[in-house]
Amino acid sequence: MHPQNVGVMENPDATATEGSPACGDQVTIYLKVDEEKLIIEDVSFLSYGCASNIATASIVTEMAKGKSLEEAKKITWRDAMDALDGLPPVKAHCSVLAADTLQSAISNYEIAHGLKEVPNFSKETIIEELKKIIYPQVGEDIITLKMVKYVGFDEKTGEVLIDLNLMSFDQYRDNVAEEIREHLEKYPEVKDIKINFPSS
Amino acid sequence: MNERIYMDNCVTSAMAPEVLEAMKPYFSEEYWYPSSFVSTGEASSAAFEGFRKVIAAALNAKPKEITFTSGGTIANNIALKGLALANSGEGRHIICSTVDYPDLLTHAGYFEKMGFEVSYLEPDELGFVSADKLKAAIRQDTILFMSTMVNHVVGTIQPIQEYAKVLAAANHKIWFHVDAGQAFGKLHLDVAALGVDTLAISAHKIHGPQGIGALYVKKGSRLGPYIHGVRRFEGVQPGGLSLAAMAGFAKAVEMVYQDLDGHIKQLRELSDYLLEQLESQIDYVELNGPRGEGRVCHNINVSLDFIEGEAITVMLDMHKITVATGSACASRGLKPSYVLMAMGKNHVQSHGSMKFTLSRYNTKEQIDFTVAKLKEIAVVLRERSPLYKAIKK
Repeated sequence: MHPQNVGVMENPDATATEGSPACGDQVTIYLKVDEEKLIIEDVSFLSYGCASNIATASIVTEMAKGKSLEEAKKITWRDAMDALDGLPPVKAHCSVLAADTLQSAISNYEIAHGLKEVPNFSKETIIEELKKIIYPQVGEDIITLKMVKYVGFDEKTGEVLIDLNLMSFDQYRDNVAEEIREHLEKYPEVKDIKINFPSS
Repeated sequence: MNERIYMDNCVTSAMAPEVLEAMKPYFSEEYWYPSSFVSTGEASSAAFEGFRKVIAAALNAKPKEITFTSGGTIANNIALKGLALANSGEGRHIICSTVDYPDLLTHAGYFEKMGFEVSYLEPDELGFVSADKLKAAIRQDTILFMSTMVNHVVGTIQPIQEYAKVLAAANHKIWFHVDAGQAFGKLHLDVAALGVDTLAISAHKIHGPQGIGALYVKKGSRLGPYIHGVRRFEGVQPGGLSLAAMAGFAKAVEMVYQDLDGHIKQLRELSDYLLEQLESQIDYVELNGPRGEGRVCHNINVSLDFIEGEAITVMLDMHKITVATGSACASRGLKPSYVLMAMGKNHVQSHGSMKFTLSRYNTKEQIDFTVAKLKEIAVVLRERSPLYKAIKK
């Protein structure tokens, strides 16, 4: 394994950390951006995670290097996976984490430099987050797979309500639920998360 | 080093060359099934009884109390379903622990679906499940207690004899099944002294062939038939079972039991050496489970802080070293080791856990090479780890 762009960056222009040790993987990405041309001059990462996690972070940073922010914003987890000639379905979430962290770092840069406003939290934000959650058996996200039957957000109480069509015997059910919580808990607007499963 | 260094012997182990030799005649020369009254059957019957005697002697059981099965899991199935179903008239409460082997825990889940109630005993931080907890969980309708003698993750040896005393002191019969998969060949197992009703073992964890195990059933135990089919001869599960595999099983047992104490001592010395090297050579290493006598002789499980075990395992594999990890990333269900979590370890400790299970074929030179490579890998991965960077700040 010879990952590229590994290490802490001194004085980065933007940084983002996604994932959590509880889920077994965490990635930090650092960006150095040309302020006039808005081009990613340099990028590096740190990774706590499996071999796929390290590989996807390496490939995502390679893809972003030298690109304009607008071009880099188009890099998706599927691009990263394709660039690696595919990953096993159970490892697709690693690719999501790497691409996600890159997008967060870019977003943090844009917000810090007045290029965009802090987006309002809404039901759409929740759905965007759910699109990043992979069902490990097939390597697709749970929105594409139509596993999410209902999403609700109560602005007054901060309660998120999600109906998830995963049976009790599904070996990945706990894992998917934990990922949902991890993705939503980082928003201060979210006070409580209720996930319902089909009965029986 | 050019040859593969295999340190995952709790999953399966290399078959001894002597075992293969012992099996050979039974594939194409003396392949007959016992129990036929003609000469072919009689020859095989004699061979079969010989194999069964070897297994029985190792456990201090009577030959008639030994049934060959097609592996340890099937032995567990025959015993657990057999006991639960045959005794459900007396009660429907079953006890096990949260750190039992999956064979037992999947049965617990099945029994719950079948309308039984299951109590799950919690371990302490070293993985021990105390007999006091068992005592407190016993009810009037408890019919079965199942236990894993040696924990498959951290090697903790459970107090089987103390359990048996607690069960014997209850005012009604509670059947006692033990999975001894990780204990067999690593501890002295005397079924009479242990006080168990049924006990499951397998061959391939002690350098015997895969696909053969045995179940001890104490004479007089009330066991319903769980597997149905043609019964070719007494002492085997229904259906045909490989006589060659039985021959190999017996040979593997003989090889270990000709000097069990020496065998245990050798493994204990190798494990002690491995742990000593890990702790002295690598920073932030923490032993999971007990130290010393409370731990089986061939298991070392440590957590390496700030880094993740799947990456470590893959990188060791590139050096032809096979070990195991409790990381969620390496598990099929993407879950951290339930044993370590039940012992109160956190996610990072579980994800960074590395399990080494040694055999008589491992050497100190292999351990030196493995620890040296692991040390290099730990440095590289920690350099990349955001958790390590946070600590260093």
